[in-house]
Amino acid sequence: MEEERDLVKRLQQGDAAACEAVIRAHHRFLVAMAAPLVGQGLADDVAQETWLKAFAAIKGFEGRSRLRTWLARIALNEAHVLLRRYKREVSLEGWGADSGSPIASSFSDKGAWSHPPAQWHHDSPEALLTEAELHECIRKHLHRLPGDQQGVVLMRELGGLEFAEIARATGLSEGNVRVLLHRGRQRMHAMLNHFEEVGTC
Amino acid sequence: MLTCKEMSELGSDIIDRHLGLRTRMAVFMHLRMCWRCRRYIKQLRLTSQVLQRLPLDREPLDAAAIRDKVCKHTE
Repeated sequence: MEEERDLVKRLQQGDAAACEAVIRAHHRFLVAMAAPLVGQGLADDVAQETWLKAFAAIKGFEGRSRLRTWLARIALNEAHVLLRRYKREVSLEGWGADSGSPIASSFSDKGAWSHPPAQWHHDSPEALLTEAELHECIRKHLHRLPGDQQGVVLMRELGGLEFAEIARATGLSEGNVRVLLHRGRQRMHAMLNHFEEVGTC
Repeated sequence: MLTCKEMSELGSDIIDRHLGLRTRMAVFMHLRMCWRCRRYIKQLRLTSQVLQRLPLDREPLDAAAIRDKVCKHTE
């Protein structure tokens, strides 16, 4: 947080190196988050428009949310502006249907654990993220999530957006967004559990 | 009485504190006596925290080129 405050201060002073640093930290996230909403082709444009708006408005950033969340909000807005300009609608075909529990086979007929989760070697997010191989593995599996789960995980977990904002942006109900997030988390948990158990991705 | 499978379905509502009073009580009772579900819920929370802190800046990116493009527009 301290680091981010410093970065924001430098951005507000128009520091070119700080601009580059913030682009390096968040550009890929913005493109990934916009892609399910506007398509891969327009996602780069959304990210670029987001930087334009963000650098113009950075003086008004008060740090009430994380910088990435503030950027994600601008990006959502820009995505809708671009769609309106091209007279297109958010195309989320097949979004929202519950794919069911990915761990249904871990339970007996009576609903008790038959394959409980393994004991993990790491017990904090920091400890898990020190494993370079795991970084790669998480990113790979994140890309493999069904599009709707991936979109919601990016908006909520990485972007820190509120459920109501995600529901508005996607046209889904808040309940639906929560289910998609849960399924995404469950799949990512299964991946981490496999890594902790076997030691490879 | 909630089953473990039902507990796993409630996982995100548990970590996001999105439960009504009655379900919250049932979850509390179940967690008190089931280490497997305690472990699952704890790990699901950890998974969520890892995602929240995941940096996406490992792959090469020409940040200077993007900055130049954006700055050209604002000048």
